[in-house]
Amino acid sequence: MRNTGFTAHDGIVLAQGLGVSLALFLATFAIGLALGALAAVVRHFRPPVLGVALDTGLELLRNSPVLVQLFLVFFGIPALIHQPLTPLVAAGLTLSANTAAFVYFIVVAGLDAVGREQVEAARAFGLSRAQLVRHILAPQAAAFAMGPLVGLAVNQLQVTSLVSVIGVVDLTKAGDILNLRTLRPFAVWTMVGVLYFAVAKGLTLLGHRWERRLRAHAAPSGL
Amino acid sequence: MIAVEGVVKRFGAQAVLNGVSLTVAPGEVVTILGSSGSGKSTLIRCINGLERLDGGRITVDGLDVANPRQLAQARRLSATVFQLFNLYPHMTVLRNVTLAPEVVLKRPGAEVEAEARALLASVGLADRADAYPAQLSGGQRQRVGICRALAMNPRYLLLDEVTSALDPEMTAEVLAILGRLVSAGTTMVFVTHEVEFARRISTRIVFLDHGRLIVDLPTDQFFADAGGMAHPRIKQFLSKMTPVGGQS
Repeated sequence: MRNTGFTAHDGIVLAQGLGVSLALFLATFAIGLALGALAAVVRHFRPPVLGVALDTGLELLRNSPVLVQLFLVFFGIPALIHQPLTPLVAAGLTLSANTAAFVYFIVVAGLDAVGREQVEAARAFGLSRAQLVRHILAPQAAAFAMGPLVGLAVNQLQVTSLVSVIGVVDLTKAGDILNLRTLRPFAVWTMVGVLYFAVAKGLTLLGHRWERRLRAHAAPSGL
Repeated sequence: MIAVEGVVKRFGAQAVLNGVSLTVAPGEVVTILGSSGSGKSTLIRCINGLERLDGGRITVDGLDVANPRQLAQARRLSATVFQLFNLYPHMTVLRNVTLAPEVVLKRPGAEVEAEARALLASVGLADRADAYPAQLSGGQRQRVGICRALAMNPRYLLLDEVTSALDPEMTAEVLAILGRLVSAGTTMVFVTHEVEFARRISTRIVFLDHGRLIVDLPTDQFFADAGGMAHPRIKQFLSKMTPVGGQS
C-alpha cells in the first residue's frame, strides 16, 4: 500500500516548488520590466519605423494566450532550429517576452502622462534626451506606471503556473505531484492557492507602499 | 546677439510668423507686443528651439538654432521663463533651480546650490527651497521660474508672458524682480501684455500683428504720435490695453 498521508517531505516539495515559481517570476519580471521599459522609452521619441514595429510586435505578444506562446517556444522553436530547449529556458523566454509586452504598453502610457510643458522647459534648458529621460520623464512615469505594474506583477506571478504544463516543477507542478500521491485534491490545491495568494498579497502591499512614495509629488499636468 | 532673419513658422496652412526679422544686442531689453495670436510666444519658442522653423534663420551669438549641435550650445546662452511656469513638479524648488546648471553646464553641485540659495533668497524664497512647486502660490512659482533661468547665468533672458497667469498682486511681485534685473543690465526678450511696464524698462519695442513685424522702434519713438502711434493697428491696440499691475 502506498502512503497517502502528508509527510514532512511534502513541505519540502511545496517549498521547492514555491522557490522555483518565485525565482521564475522574479527573473522574468525583472527582464521583462527592463526590456519593456527600454522599448517604451525608445518608442517615446517616435522613431519612424522602429516605433510601428515595436507597437505591432508587442501587441501580438500581449494579445495572444501565454499558453500558446509557451507551446510555440517550447515545441515550435526547437523544430525550427533543430535544437531542444529545456522547459526552464522555454518558460524563461516566454514569460520574459510576455511581461515585456505588457510593461511596454503601461510605460508608454506613463511617459505620455508626464506634462508636455515640463519636457519643453527641460529641453529649452539644454537637457539632452538621456538627461530628460533620467531626470524628468523616468521618475514621473514610474510614479504613474507603478499602480498598473503592481497589478501586472500579481498577474504574471499567477501566469507562471502555466509552465507546469511543459514540465517545470514549480509550485503548481509540486501541487500536482502531491495530489497524485495523497489523492486529497481539496487540501492540496487549497494549500497551493493560499501560497500563491500570500506571495501576491505581499507584492501588492509592497508595491502600493512604493507607489505612494513615488507619487508624492508627481503631477500629470505641469505647474 | 540674437539675430532673427526672415523667420517663417506655419502651423498647418496658417503662417504664425511670416517673415519676421529683428536683432537683440547685449544689454538691450526688447519688448514684443501684439494681440493674442500675433506670434509673440511662437517667436520666443523659435529662438529657444522649441519650434522648428519653416523659413528664415535664427542665430544666437552666431549659433544657428536649426542645427541640433549648435542649438545645444545656443541653449546654454539663453534661458526661458514660461507663462505657465513649467516647473518640474517632482523636484523641490531648490532642485528645479540647480538641475540644469548641474547636468547641462556640469558645474559642481555645492557651488550651484549655494548660488541657487542666494538667488532664491534674492526673490524672497529662501525658506521655500525644500518645498515642492504644488505647495507654492502662482507668484512664488514664477519667481522660482525666474531663479531657474538666472541660475544658468544666461546672456539672454527670454520671457514669455511671464505674468499672464498671475493676479495683479503676484504680477507686481514678479515685475519688481524683472525691474531689478533690467537695472543690473540683463539682456531680455520680453513678450508681454504689460504695456506700461514695458514702456518703463524697454530699450526697444517690437509690434507683431498676424505674424508680421509692423514696427521695431526705440521705446520713446514707439509711443510717440509720429512713431508707432502713427500706425492705426498699434494705436488701436494701445487704446484697448488697460494697464494692469506694473506698479513695481
